[in-house]
Amino acid sequence: MTATEYNYSVFDGSAEEFREFAVHAPKATMRAPSLPLEDLATGRIVEMSELWRSEVALIEFGSFT
Amino acid sequence: MEELAGRYANRAVRSVFIYTREAHPGENYRHHESLEDKRQNARAFVAHSKLRRQVLLDDLEGTAHCAYGMLPNMTWIVGRSGMIHYKSAWTSVADVEDALERVLDFQANRAKRQWVAFYSERSAWSTRDYKGFMAGLERNGPQAVADYQRMLERNKAAREAPSEDVGPRVPGNYYEPEGGTGA
Repeated sequence: MTATEYNYSVFDGSAEEFREFAVHAPKATMRAPSLPLEDLATGRIVEMSELWRSEVALIEFGSFT
Repeated sequence: MEELAGRYANRAVRSVFIYTREAHPGENYRHHESLEDKRQNARAFVAHSKLRRQVLLDDLEGTAHCAYGMLPNMTWIVGRSGMIHYKSAWTSVADVEDALERVLDFQANRAKRQWVAFYSERSAWSTRDYKGFMAGLERNGPQAVADYQRMLERNKAAREAPSEDVGPRVPGNYYEPEGGTGA
């Protein structure tokens, strides 16, 4: 998926996204994928695996809209 | 979730918010064409919501968001070993707290009680704050309201009458009445 496709400009509420989450996203008991993210406050790159290295990680995904 | 994060901070729970694409872009908070667009909207969100949790930005392509299923407001709980303990299509504070307590119990007592984790699924529920949701769309701009209304009209036309034993179908609920098409 390209950045343009991912960042749609018009919401169309595709129900397919929910099937994607159920069928293709990792399941409970699987190893969590670790990907790099940018800390908004500092600009530092944070590997997701750092989140659960010594603590339980509670991760919420979202946006302003 | 902010209040929950605060209460569990001293119980070895690290709470973060991963900023994704805009779910309902509008004239006031547009879709992202650059990482700077994303940072700008994320900063506005932090200020508006008085967020104290660490906010992490995904890349412009949404690589992390896609890897975790791409839904607009998911919550995941990952144990210290990196094992996924909980994934939820929507975020319900009560459901998250219930799961979190169980995960902390598992982490603390797994060895002593010889517990072995296994895969399971269950449904969860939350109260729909339609008024608050619509106020959010209005804040995003008229386009966000119009896009959402268009989706509702499309779904209404496609949907059969709701079943009596399961509430009206909403995104995140896979239930389809026998012979029905679902939403």
